[in-house]
Amino acid sequence: MQDNFDSIISRNTLFWLLITNVAVLSPQFEHATPWTTAICAICFVWRMGIYYGKVAAPPKLLVTSLAIGAATTLALVSSQIGLLNALINLLLLGYALKYIEMRELRDVKTVVLVGYFIIALTLLDQQAIINTVHLTLVAVINTSVLVSVYQDNRKPSANLRFSFKIMLHSLPLAIVLFVVFPRLGPLWLVPSMKSAKTGLSDEMSFGDISKLTRSDELAFRVGFENSDGSKSGPANADLYWRTLVMENYDGKTWRQHPSIKELQRQSFYQPSKRPLPNSEQLGDKQSDLQEKQLDYVVISEPSHQRWLYGLDQAFSQDNSIVELPDYTLYAMRPLDQRQSYRVVSYPNSQMDPTLTPKLRDINLTLPENANPQTWQLAQQFTQQYPQPKARINAMMNYFAEQAYYYTLSPPAIGNEQIDDFLFENRAGFCAHYASALVYLARASGIPARMVTGYQGGEYNPKAGYYSVYQYMAHAWTEVWFENEGWQRFDPTAMIAPQRILDGFDATFDSQSSYLLDRPFSPLRLKQYPWLNNIRNQIASMDYYWSVWILGFDEQRKQAVLKKLLGEVNPRNIAIAMLICITVILLFIAYFAGLFERKPKQDRQSRRYQAIVQKMMLKGAPDQAQLPPKAYAQALSARWAISAPQWLPRFHQFTAEFVALKYQPLTTEQHSQHLRRFNRLYWTLRLGLLMSKPMQ
Amino acid sequence: MFSRKAKVKQTNQTSWLTKLIPKAAEQKWSRWIGRRLPPQEKVTLSHKGIFILPSAFGIAWLALIILLYLFGTNYQNNLVIGLSLLLASVFHTCIIYSYKNLAGLTFSAVSPADAYAEQPHTFPIMLTGHANPKRPDTTHQQICMQFNGQRHIRLQHTEEQTIATVQYDNPKRGLLTPGRIKVWSHFPLGLFKAWSYVDLDLHQVVFAAPLECDIRLTSQADEDNNDISHGKIRPGVDDYTGLRSYVTGESLKQVAWKQWAQNKGMLTKEFNEPEGAPVWLSLADTQGHDLEQRLSKLSWQVNTLARKNQIFGLIIDNHTLSQSSGESHRIACQKALALYRPSFDLQSDHHLGGKNAG
Repeated sequence: MQDNFDSIISRNTLFWLLITNVAVLSPQFEHATPWTTAICAICFVWRMGIYYGKVAAPPKLLVTSLAIGAATTLALVSSQIGLLNALINLLLLGYALKYIEMRELRDVKTVVLVGYFIIALTLLDQQAIINTVHLTLVAVINTSVLVSVYQDNRKPSANLRFSFKIMLHSLPLAIVLFVVFPRLGPLWLVPSMKSAKTGLSDEMSFGDISKLTRSDELAFRVGFENSDGSKSGPANADLYWRTLVMENYDGKTWRQHPSIKELQRQSFYQPSKRPLPNSEQLGDKQSDLQEKQLDYVVISEPSHQRWLYGLDQAFSQDNSIVELPDYTLYAMRPLDQRQSYRVVSYPNSQMDPTLTPKLRDINLTLPENANPQTWQLAQQFTQQYPQPKARINAMMNYFAEQAYYYTLSPPAIGNEQIDDFLFENRAGFCAHYASALVYLARASGIPARMVTGYQGGEYNPKAGYYSVYQYMAHAWTEVWFENEGWQRFDPTAMIAPQRILDGFDATFDSQSSYLLDRPFSPLRLKQYPWLNNIRNQIASMDYYWSVWILGFDEQRKQAVLKKLLGEVNPRNIAIAMLICITVILLFIAYFAGLFERKPKQDRQSRRYQAIVQKMMLKGAPDQAQLPPKAYAQALSARWAISAPQWLPRFHQFTAEFVALKYQPLTTEQHSQHLRRFNRLYWTLRLGLLMSKPMQ
Repeated sequence: MFSRKAKVKQTNQTSWLTKLIPKAAEQKWSRWIGRRLPPQEKVTLSHKGIFILPSAFGIAWLALIILLYLFGTNYQNNLVIGLSLLLASVFHTCIIYSYKNLAGLTFSAVSPADAYAEQPHTFPIMLTGHANPKRPDTTHQQICMQFNGQRHIRLQHTEEQTIATVQYDNPKRGLLTPGRIKVWSHFPLGLFKAWSYVDLDLHQVVFAAPLECDIRLTSQADEDNNDISHGKIRPGVDDYTGLRSYVTGESLKQVAWKQWAQNKGMLTKEFNEPEGAPVWLSLADTQGHDLEQRLSKLSWQVNTLARKNQIFGLIIDNHTLSQSSGESHRIACQKALALYRPSFDLQSDHHLGGKNAG
């Protein structure tokens, strides 16, 4: 015999459900397909209709068929929009449809739980401070639904306030847990979003990098953690952020070698790691490894690609990152969200002092029968400079001596790309010069390869980190010498040394490059020192957020715990946790009203009693359970002759007391009565203090 | 000052789960509870008697926390992990809130109305808790109360003093000891069920269910005369019965001056005067196809006569309640009927009744 008294959904709850629905679904707008949005909107409007009593709940058959239809359609398009996107859409639809056919309290609870999950999904790609605040508010609203179920007969505003209160009380423990909870690596492969990729691509033709120079988007930020505590990194000219190494050239496009591609594909199942360089590889100087290494944290913006950024020989202990044999880093998952990782680089160590014949072969291969003029030039260099090192230096100088120009908008190029550039146009940017140098080197028998990445970084003095923007994208060359390994050569530095020494902004007018299509970019503020200061301040906040919240990993956790506890061991952690939880418990218990002692009487009654007690001491009749008015009369009878001066005042006092206690009063009347009551109380109290006992 | 905001709800609390618990364990539990929370006139809930366990929703909540943690770990997203830890922390906060919602609540019994067999009965229970008008969140909310196996009621919210009427359906004639009241609440988010048992040592005599019938009186003075005017009371001067407000024109002799002096207003003392000869109700003379029906008929007659202010006495077997009138007499008669247990003698009585009917 079950009836639904407890499971009836109250009006307050229905109201909160309306708000929650919009709050939870609206941040997911970007991911929703048009018809998901449409179905969600219809469900919301229908629910509004139910709320205002205009329509009935939809028949179950309709909801079921809608759900099946939506799921089927999603399954069909999932390959187009990506698996994760399809799953998100499925969840959104489920949420909307459950929402509309909600009948019992159980359904409300389901909707609330799914609501939290959707909030978590939203957090995947909205991670800025402002988004976090917004989504925390959404979580509070979602909790209000539950509060309204168990706290009815109240206004919705009271529900929201209470929900806030619970969240606020829960925050301290959440922070403690956030610090001590273990951070694990990814446990299994999860589907990723299919979004437009940004940043560098694993294929490079001449136009690509010039497109990036039009972008003012942040690519990544780097915070150096030097052993002496300073935060400054190497000079701008040494900030070559290697991202991709390209070894295959077909005359048009540079590509990564298939063997590297294969390693990338296998990365999750066979994560490749490189051995750390030993002191031999660090060159002639027998110096300590520690001194020659750079420690830094890279906070990458979502690029939806998997290649990472690092200086020189980059190593990372992060177990979601693989170290490729070309000394670049590669993530196991696409960078769908802002992600931070630690890198250790060894700028002085040699890359591949010996080269396998296969690798040598790869880095000497050129498309056949192409660019004959360049071939000829290369032969000249070979004859003139038999020493490989001297030859490359001569090639570099060739760019400086001849009339070559550095421009971001080079003229169109024909089929024989290198020939056209070297002998016809004589104008281009990094990709052109780097390609030409690799081509010349390979043609003259020296192994060489193309490296793409970013060059430079804008230092933020407030927080001490470097920002690297997309317009800092760059391409350069690595040439291999016997016993020395791969050496970096940047022909662009020969044409536009400013570009390398002082950064992109020193060479190019920002208005004509990355700010061209961006009228509202914050980077425009660079011209005004104090506005730039504010920009830096805001950027620092975002940086700290990224480092300490988004990038809070096992290492940071250990560092924080060490600072707080001195020594990090399970015993210390347990004691600290115990203390924290106790303090938090007491704090919550206090605010929950657990320590509230119920005063036996209200203030007025206490004051009335106090006066009566005083009067009794002065010889007034015994109170003996008499109600106030009766007692006043009894007093009149006793004191009518002996002390009549007290009677009018006490009668008035009694009247005010009775009015305050038992009469329905408006707030205004109440305060008037209270004022008079209190005045009388003090006059009586003082008067009784002075007077003698009377009979 | 009291608020009656109790909503009544009917459920069958004995779910399949409770059926699985063996009888012996249940008895052991019951004994343990009885020792821990002994019957008292006034019970204040404290840590000694409040039990808190996650509800089914609470377990679903925990599952969500784990799911979000795994989700956040797999996507290496600290914010998702943060959300899962925040929800875990909310879970922890709710323990304190659910405890607080019951702690300090004082229960005491209020004298209940008459209970009649087979009719739903309610036990009014006074709940005293702290209600700070400045902090409305600290009041006790959503308190559910229930006798074992009975319907439960839910108090949306309580004030300083609230009277809850706890249901007891289908009581049997005789002494009713409803036992412990189970008190619980799911406040604040439904993640936990906090509950306790309140034993106020309640007991009540359940009167026989009144059954409308002809009034069958036995007057010792005149056995043939069954006139209803026998034993009737009319307003008189002999027996003082109570006070009522003064109506202009009444004799000043009957004004209660003492009360007037106490400023209670002008009241008139009321006196009654018995009219006619007293009458008797007797079990033996009441007809019916079984004992319960006869008792029911008597119960109805007692109430009817009492309402008419008639003087009557009650004879059950050898037991006689002397003739009287008024509320206390009615209660005495009803109690006698309620607690009546047929002895061997009664069997013959029953036969007698049967013969009379035939």
